[in-house]
Formats: sequence, structure tokens, C-alpha cells
Amino acid sequence: MKNQWIVRVLSKTLTLASHTRSLCSSTTTSSPSTTFSLKNVTKSNFESALTDLRCLVRDADFVSIDLEMTGVTSAPWRESLECDRFDIRYLKTKDSAEKFAVVQFGVCPFRWDRSKQSFVAHPHNFYIFPRQEIPVDWPSYEFLCQTTSLDFLAKYQFDFNLCIQEGISYLSRGQEDEALRRLHIVYEDELSEMQCNLREARDTPLVRVADVLFTERMKNRISEWRDGLLLHRKGGSKFQESSSDSSQQFQTIFFKMRPALLLNGFTSRQLRLIQLVTEKHFEDLVYIYTNVETSSVQIVYTDSKNDREGLVKEVKDGRRKEAEMKIKAAVGFRHVFDLLSSEQKLIVGHNCFLDIAHIYSKFVGPLPLTAEEFSTSIHKYFPYIIDTKILLNANDVLRPMMKKGSTSLAKAFACVCPEIASGVNGSGLGLKPRVQVEVQVDDMRSSNWNSGAKHEAGYDAFMTGCVFAQACSHLGFDFKLHSSFTNLANDEKLRKHINLLYLSWFSGEIIDLRTGKQTAESSYYNSLKTKYPKIVFSNIALIWGFPLKLKAREIRECISKTFGPLSVTLVYNLDETAVFVQFSKAELVSDFLRLKEILERSNGPISVLHPLSKLLEGGNTRAATYEVYKEICSSPISEVLFADQAEMIGIKWKTEPVGSNVEAETRVGETFIQGDEMNANESDLGKISSMINDLSRGHFRESEIIDSSYPAEAQVSK
Amino acid sequence: MVLRRTMSQRRFLCTKITNHHRHDHRHDHHHNHRRWPIKQVTKSNFSEALEQIKNHIHGSDFVAVSLQRTGSHSSPWHRVLPIDTVETSYFKAKYAAERFQVLQFAVCPFSLRASKVIAHPYNFHLFPRDELKIGMPSYSFSCQSSYLTSMAREGFDFNACIYDGISYLSRTQELASKDRIENLVPSKYMLQSSSANSVADAVFVERIKSRVKHWRNALNDSSTRTEDALIKCLRKLVLGSEAYGSRPCLSIDVCSERQVQLTLEMLREFSDDLVPLLVPANGGGTQAVRVVLTSSKEDRESFQRELQDLEAEQNKRVRGFREVIELISASQKPVVAHNSLNDFTFIHSKFLSSLPSSMDEFKCSLSLVFPHILDVSHLMKEIGPLKKVTNLPAAISYLKRRFFAPIDMEICHQADANEGKIHGYNVLRISELFAKLCSILRIVPETLEADNNRLPSVLEGYANVFSPCSPSSYDPIDRDISVWTDNTRKVDGKDLVFLWGFGGGMSARMLKKLLRNSHEVFSEEFDVRLLDKSCAVVVFCNPGSSESFLEAMDSGGVSCESLREMISDGLRATDYQTYWRACRLGLWEADLADALDKALADDDSLSKAHSEEPSEICWNSELMINLDAL
Repeated sequence: MKNQWIVRVLSKTLTLASHTRSLCSSTTTSSPSTTFSLKNVTKSNFESALTDLRCLVRDADFVSIDLEMTGVTSAPWRESLECDRFDIRYLKTKDSAEKFAVVQFGVCPFRWDRSKQSFVAHPHNFYIFPRQEIPVDWPSYEFLCQTTSLDFLAKYQFDFNLCIQEGISYLSRGQEDEALRRLHIVYEDELSEMQCNLREARDTPLVRVADVLFTERMKNRISEWRDGLLLHRKGGSKFQESSSDSSQQFQTIFFKMRPALLLNGFTSRQLRLIQLVTEKHFEDLVYIYTNVETSSVQIVYTDSKNDREGLVKEVKDGRRKEAEMKIKAAVGFRHVFDLLSSEQKLIVGHNCFLDIAHIYSKFVGPLPLTAEEFSTSIHKYFPYIIDTKILLNANDVLRPMMKKGSTSLAKAFACVCPEIASGVNGSGLGLKPRVQVEVQVDDMRSSNWNSGAKHEAGYDAFMTGCVFAQACSHLGFDFKLHSSFTNLANDEKLRKHINLLYLSWFSGEIIDLRTGKQTAESSYYNSLKTKYPKIVFSNIALIWGFPLKLKAREIRECISKTFGPLSVTLVYNLDETAVFVQFSKAELVSDFLRLKEILERSNGPISVLHPLSKLLEGGNTRAATYEVYKEICSSPISEVLFADQAEMIGIKWKTEPVGSNVEAETRVGETFIQGDEMNANESDLGKISSMINDLSRGHFRESEIIDSSYPAEAQVSK
Repeated sequence: MVLRRTMSQRRFLCTKITNHHRHDHRHDHHHNHRRWPIKQVTKSNFSEALEQIKNHIHGSDFVAVSLQRTGSHSSPWHRVLPIDTVETSYFKAKYAAERFQVLQFAVCPFSLRASKVIAHPYNFHLFPRDELKIGMPSYSFSCQSSYLTSMAREGFDFNACIYDGISYLSRTQELASKDRIENLVPSKYMLQSSSANSVADAVFVERIKSRVKHWRNALNDSSTRTEDALIKCLRKLVLGSEAYGSRPCLSIDVCSERQVQLTLEMLREFSDDLVPLLVPANGGGTQAVRVVLTSSKEDRESFQRELQDLEAEQNKRVRGFREVIELISASQKPVVAHNSLNDFTFIHSKFLSSLPSSMDEFKCSLSLVFPHILDVSHLMKEIGPLKKVTNLPAAISYLKRRFFAPIDMEICHQADANEGKIHGYNVLRISELFAKLCSILRIVPETLEADNNRLPSVLEGYANVFSPCSPSSYDPIDRDISVWTDNTRKVDGKDLVFLWGFGGGMSARMLKKLLRNSHEVFSEEFDVRLLDKSCAVVVFCNPGSSESFLEAMDSGGVSCESLREMISDGLRATDYQTYWRACRLGLWEADLADALDKALADDDSLSKAHSEEPSEICWNSELMINLDAL
């Protein structure tokens, strides 16, 4: 294990040596960069690292973080799409945070050293693994791995063995509370249960001859021992251990100042019989499990009923305390979260909404259903979060520069902190760094440190912090002037960027964690032009399960032929099995759904000749409003293909073959209401239900279907 | 354990292990196998291992397989319970196979010679890497922490697996990806005697014929003439001539499979020196026929050989580990496994195609690939109908204690240069156990070599049984041996009633007491067992009792005050059919109670959709229930 690290560091040193050489010739200011590994923390050194980290975080001005996960999206259609509404984006993030595991957690406290006029950073790289340390109820600990993500981690030499064998485990607050609550219940119940068991134990008859014989023998043995004890107490001879063969199984010891008999080498069935005997025949003996794991069992002699109860309580309390300690110990890595939360420091991340969601789901509890609730909740733990991606895009000096490259962390780092990133690349683009950063790991310190291990959480956290420091400086924040800044987050230049996170970088949607809403000025930060027309969610219908060979263009044609050439403004592929179709008007969505319904019911020539029939071919085509998309996204199931997903959870909306009319009526009504909450008015509703009623009574002739639906556009446009 | 190594034989090191010792502790067993040489295969030595195993499979009588998965079941009721029928256990195995991943696949071709097992064990490390960048074989997979932790404890190298594991594509995935992997397919068209050609067909054939003729003539001309580079270029452009490697070729666009057929026919009649290749279209099918011109008969043959090699290479690249599965399948040798239902649902879903929705279809589809599957856990049951041991080491030591059936394991393998961690013992244990069982049961399949395609009749009765009551073979959470006791009895699915909604923290005993006073049917003998913390099963002894109880539940407990009280407190009940449906629909909620509630809610829509299926499917088979195992 250690060797591996050395190898890793060594290889880095080698590559860096070449960088340094070229660097020396070009820049005179920088001393050769030194490399030592950042602080790697696993199970074995967690305790000591945590103690050190407490001081470092307390003294820090801000703490940057970064996470490595086993995956990002549980299905292709769960990736961030252009057509995702704000609440859907949250649901997708939630799904990701719930399903995947965090395997590395980078924490890097930054402290401004006034004497040296520079920051001191302490990069930590924690390996964490959701190992089940305490026996909990089902469901078992389970997580998803995205194949490409593991491959990606492997590309950057991630050590999976170290993570799984030595990773630090954790309990969320929710899990801890639950474990303690359960412990409490068990403790409370045990006494009453015991009385109950005792009575039943006495009643249980022994059926097998072997059991009866064994029980009798044990009864004699125990009785012998007890009598011996009593004799001894009365001043008689010392208790003689009986025959040599049983002395291995019975051993007299003292347990909590009382004489006791330690039982060895019995099977669990035998032990159960011994327990029965003890409880049935010996009032003054107590059968006690002292250690559940090693199943060490003792029979303890007690003086009186009081003594007996005292002992039972004592043992029970002891066991409870032990269990509580175990739960406390299982909290593990969450202590780091608790530390960050209790110190209320400014948390810095890069494009970190998913990271924060992971932190919440791993260390607090199940993620809330809506972004609003999530924001209120996370705000209690992390009142100040800043996203360097936001900062970079907000800054007039930095933004144009960023546009040349992307604002990925490595690029931004190379751009804003060229001196630290020296080896990475793009020093030509670089700005002159305004803030010095020193790195300290244990006793080693360097003002020109570069471990270069990209996509290692600890190093990424370090880069994020560096980018933040430089960006602050570009925003006009002069660290040198602030003799002591109690809280960076209160500075007016930073305040407007605090708690704003990208929900999706590509769409430029930003969530404000103070309100849980999408920010009004989202567009201000948005550097990407969207190539799609404006998306109106109420105008969108979702179609899936159509013939696979059908292309988006053909779907558009199909629908345009029915509802008019301008009726469809956008057809967007969700994946190969599903599309979003945006209509020009919200009413068209319900018109479309209704028409589809009708066509599927009538098997006559009209439905075959109808332009939509191409879309409905195969009989598996389903359609629904945008709200149904939300429901599908909120499902815990993740099938790879959207059509499969919808089928798995969508049994409810499955278009049934002409079944009971009542059912159909309510269902169509429902979809309609769902889709057009804003626009639906009662007359529309009435129209539909009367139409369906007609249909069910068989008054709806096929010619009427055409009349009422083909020139649907005309109808809508009035 | 005596272990003798002949170090002088460097190349083919035979390790002979005599197995005449007692196993007192299960865990020792594991330790004892430490030094059996099992060939560890990763991406780097796969090609070489593939060649070797091909010969070994060919030369052996049986092939044992054993899989290491990343998880089995996430809730207590997801594991196979004694109340499960063949069908419901299949649904459970299917669910696990679809979610979890195989990281190690051990294969051991072996033969039995008297009391000797001659084995060639291999352990393949798999990782579903997307080698071809087509989003296959697996977008994602689930892991259970406990499985990974216990693998880590045994020294499994996850880095080696993820960095260097062998990838694969299933048969269906290979078909689906044909068009996405850019390769040319040598035409394997069976030329049918063409049906009556239409006029359009004739026109098409004439047109391409003249085009090919023109092209060929032009090529023959230009090869004799020396031409200006520009002219050459222009000529090429006009003729649409391209080059395939060093040979000239021409692409003919086609619009239908009919046209492909016609083109191929025409080319065959036209000339011997033309080799057609099919260019796959994007959405499947064929986009064009590429005609390659060879210079002579020899050249043509060498070109065809080239194509074959190319295809083999391509197959290895695309199929990856599946080549091993194909080898086993092609050999038609009997496959020996432990808990075959679990392993073969995985094999089917990862290497063949996605799992069908019913056990019958599964068996059918599987038997086309593996005609004879022998399950050692099923054979174990033959030893003593009431004795059943759940895991391999326990089974072996059980046999050792009871029977005298010494088996020599002879493992012939090239020694691995590096003494790395050795994994995949289970496959050897399976071989050993199988040999022991054969010897105890007096099934000596000596006749096997004579007729490769048929299983010796002595074994026939044991093949292809997917016993439903086998708890998962490898369960790091509980490794307890569960030996079947005399509390096993036959129960009809009809006599089972599922109960839930009785509130948490209830023990089976308490529930039984409660029920006894609630309704008259409970005055007779009945049994209650908890299936998980949310749901219990009531086993009635008298036929008809379950119906009358369910009726009483449906009526809201009329005339039974205490039952009414319990229903008001949320008690619910249903029959086996609902349970079957929950498994069938894949309502794998964490709590069985939730799953049953959902299954009841979906009742209407489903009963309609599946009305054609006989609802008695589960009643036909009587259940063997071991009440102690519940």
C-alpha cells in the first residue's frame, strides 16, 4: 500500500523534473517546485488527521472541497438536458447523489499568513467507502457504479483497493439517530421481552430424547457447581472442578465480583438448552451473554433477587454503552462534515452543486423532494458556499479569458494560477498571480508545490482554493489590507456571489441556496448561447416507445401534417426511444394526446391512413405531458432506455386496449389537468369529457374524428 | 494437506494434492487451497489463455463454472425463500442478474478418472469497460458494500480488475452494435435460387452489371497504360473506384436486402475475381456492397484468408470474454455449477441476451446454448433428501464426515511466473464436490468420451434442474450452514396467506398468539413466520382455511370483533398470487409489505393484461417448505 504511494509520487517527481527544468530557464522568480504527496487519509491515520484538521479548519479563512464519485448519471436520459425544468434538474441531481458513492473527499483549508503575506494551504485527501460497520437493518448498503466513471478514475490511477480496504466509513446524522433510536427500543424492550421469554421458556417442552438427556446432564453439572459454591461460602472445602473433560467447557471465573461459570465450546443449540435449564431451575443463577461477537456466555451466581436484577441491569447498561460507542465510532468521516459545519467557514467548490447534494445525502440524511427544501436544509449546515465557476464567469477580467478555454477546473487553474500550475500548460495565457499560496503537509512546506495529480480529490480541492484566492484578488479584494478578516463571506464584493451554484453549467441555470429558487440573473452568468428556441414547458409533450427507426425530423413531419406546419416548434431527442415535442400552443398538447387516444381506439381505415399512424405504428407509442416526465424522473428506478423506464414505472398510464370507458375517461381527464394546470378552463374540460362520452356511447363516427381533429390548428387558433 | 511440487519441471508444473485430511473448520479450508495454481487471466494474457482453454475444454469431460458477483440481494425478501416456487426464484435471480456485475468468472475444464479429478482451472477477471465506445456492455452496475469488503478481505485486486479486466459484449449486444462498429462483413449470404425477377429487378441488375463491367475494363486498361496523374485521378472519380488495401474496389449503393441479393447473384455469375463485402447501414441492414477486385485465383484466396483473420481478430475484440462462453457452448460439454439458477441468470443476461420474462422461456433459451447443466447443490439433495448444506466448503466437509470418497485433485498448469494472489477456488471446489458426489451416488460417467453430444444416461436425470430452494451460494453476511431438519413439509401455495400492517417490532410468536384469538380458522393448526420485518406468512394445514380467512379479511372482519380490530389497526392479507405478481412485475420494494400493497394496487390493470396466462401457474407445483429456514 505504502509502496504504491511512493511509486505514484515518484512518477510525478519524474514528470515534474522535466517541467521544472524548462521552467527554470524561462522564469527566474520561481524556485524549483517541490513535490511531496498531499496528506492522504485512510482508516489507519484518520484519528490523528482529524485532530490536526480541527485546528487547521478553525484557523482557516476558507475551506475548499472536492469529491470523487463512482458515477454521475444512472441512465443516459438522466444526463442534464436542454429541456429540463428547474425542478427536474434538481431531481436528476438528487438521483445521482442518492445512487452513487463518494470514494474520495478532498478538503483543503486555506489560512492567510500575515507575516508571510501569503496563503497557507493544507490539502487533505480522504479515502472514504460506505462500509457497513454496525449491524443495521436492511436495505443493505448498496451503490451504483457508472462504468465510464470507474474507467475515468482508473485512468487517473485511482487506488480502488486502498479505497475499499482502507477507506473511512461514515454514518449520516439520520443513520446515527436511527441506530441510537433502535438501540433504545431494544434496550427498553429487552426487559419486558425477557419476562415473556422466561415464561415461555418454562413452558416449552423438550421433544428430542437427546435434548432431554443433554438438559438433564447440564442441570446436574450446574447444580453441582452451585452447590459447591454454597458449600465453599459456608466455609467448606474449595469448589473442585469436576471431571477433566468438562473443565474445558466449564470454567469458574469472577464476573463483576460474583462467581461465575464460563461456558466454552458449545453449539448454539446447546447454549439455548443450557439457558432454558438455567432459567427454569435456578432462581439465583443468571445466564448472560457477555460478548455477542465471540458468543462468550456465563452463568453468574447472585445473592438475592435484588442482586440479580442489579446484575442484569448492569450488564445491560454495559452492553448498551458498548453499542453506543460502536455507533459513535461508526460516525467516522462524518466528523469532518460536522467540523466544517460547526466552524461555519466559507466553503469553496468548483461547480459544486452535485458535491453539496452528495454531502447532504451521505452525511445529513435523505435528500428532500424539492430544491427549496434542500436549500433551506443545507443552509443550516453550510451557510456560506461559493462556487468558483460562478465567480470566474462573473468577473469582467476573468470571463473573457475563460472564454478562450473552458472553465473546467484544470483549465481555470492553469489560467489563473499559472505559477502554481507551472507544469500544466498555458502559461502564455496566464495572468500574473496576485496572491501567493504556500502548501503545508505535516512538516513539509513549500511555496511552489505541485503534486499534479489531477482528479484526485485533495489536489482538486487545492486547485479550487487557489483559483478562488486569485479570483477574489481580481474582484478587488486585497488580502493584504485586511488585517484580520473575520469572515470572508461578509465582504460586500463576495456577498453577491455567495450561495449561488450552477444547477447545470450547460444551461446556465443557477440556484440561489438562500431561497432555493432559480436566480433571476441567471442569464448574466450564462456564457453559452443556447441553440434552441425558448422552451415553454407547458407546451411540451413527451412521446416514447415509437418505432426505433423514426427520426426526430419524421416525427415533426407527422405531427405538423396533423396540426399544421407551424404547430411544432421543437423536437428534441431525449434518447433513442423518446422525444420532447414542443408545440406552439399549450392547448395543442392536450389536443395531441386526445387525438392519439382516439386513433388508438378505432382500428378502422381512418387510423391507418392518418398521418399520425406512422408515429403510432407498433402500438407501443406512449405520450404524456411534461409533468409525467417529472414523475418518471423522480422514480428511484433507472433503466438505460427511457421507454423501458417509463414502462417499468408507468403501468398506470399505459394506454390500455379499449377497456372500461369510465376508466379511460378519468384518465384522459387527469392527463389533461396535469398538462395544463395554468391554461385549462372548465369549458375545455367539458368539451373533452363530452367527446369521450360520445365516443363511449358509440356516437362518435369516424368522419367526425377527422372533422374534429385534423384541422386541429384551426380550432386552436380561434 | 500434503503439497508436493516438482520444481524441476518448469514448463508444465503438475501440482498434486492428496486430500485425505479432515476439515474441522470451514475457514481452514479456504486457507488450504491457497496454493492451488489457478491461472489468473486479465486483458494482458487473454489471447494466450483463450488458446489454451480451447484445448482444455476440448479435452475434458466437464466444465465447471463459478462467478464472483458484486452483490446478491438488497432486502431480506429478495433472496430466495423457502416459500418461493421455481418461477418466483427465477424472478428474484433475474432481478439480481440485471443489476449486479460479474467481476470474476472462473472456468475449470475437468475430467474424472476413477477417483481422480484432472482439472485446468482458469480465473478470468472481468470489467464491463466500454472498449468500443458504444455505451456497452453496461452503462452502470450496482455494488453491495459487504460483497466488496469481503472480496477485499480475501485479497481481491480491484485495481487489476478495473484497470485490466476483460470486457465483453453479449450476443444481442454484438448484433445491435454491428452497425456501430465500423467494419466490413464478408458476405455470408446463402444464395437462394432467385425467385422470379421483376422488371425493376432486371433493370437494377443490368445497370450495376454494366457499371461493374465498365469499371473492370477501365481498370484493366489503365493498368497497361501509363497515364498522367491528373487523368488517373479524374478517371477514378468518374468510375467511383476506390481502394481496399492494395486492391481496387467499387461501392454499389443498395436500397433493400433484395437488391443486396441481386447484386451478389450478379457478381457471382459475372466473374470469379470479384469478392463482395457488405457495408452495414447505420440503422441495421446493408447500405452498400463493396466489390473488391482480386488479380488471380491465388490472390482471391489469400484475400479471403485475410478477411477471415480480420474477422477473428474483430470477434476477439468485440466479444472479449464471451469467446470463452462460446467455446464452452460450442463444445456442448456438460457444465457443472453450484446454485446454477444464480450463475446462469447472470451468464444469460451478461453474455447471451437480456433475460426473458418467464422461467420456461429462460430454460428454453439457455438449453440452446448449454444443453446440459449439472447443479452440485441439486446432486447434494440426492444424498439425503432432508440434508442440505448451503455453501461449498460446508458441503465438502459434510461429505467428508459422512462418506469415504477420497478424491485426488490433479491440476496441470503452467506455473505462473509471479506468485500473485490466487482467486477462484470455488470452481475447484465445485469440481471436487462433483467428483465426490458422482462417486458416492455411483454415477461414474466413464462413457463420456465416446459420445460427446449426449450426456451419459446416468447423469441425465440430474441435468437442467434449477432448484428453487437454494439460498445464495456465497453470502458474506451469513455463512451459517443451514441443514434441513425434519420440519419440512409439503405445502400448497394455496394454503399460504401473507400478512402485513401489524406494526413493527412484532415477533412471529406474538403474531401467532394474536391471530389465534382473532378468527375461527386459527383454532386449527397453523404456523406463522416472518419473511421480513414488515410481513409474515401464515401456513395453514387444512385446505380451505386460507380462503375462509381471506374472505373474513375481505369482509372487514364481520362477526369477529378482534379481527375487525386488527384490520382497523391496518392489518392486511393476501394470497400467494399477489406475491407471485409482485415478483413478476418487479416490484422490488425494500419491504415486502410495500411490494404487496403495490401489487394489489396494480391488480386491475394486470389481471387484464395477463388474463391469458393461467393464474394457477404457481399452484401447480407444490412447495417444499422448511419452516425452520423462514
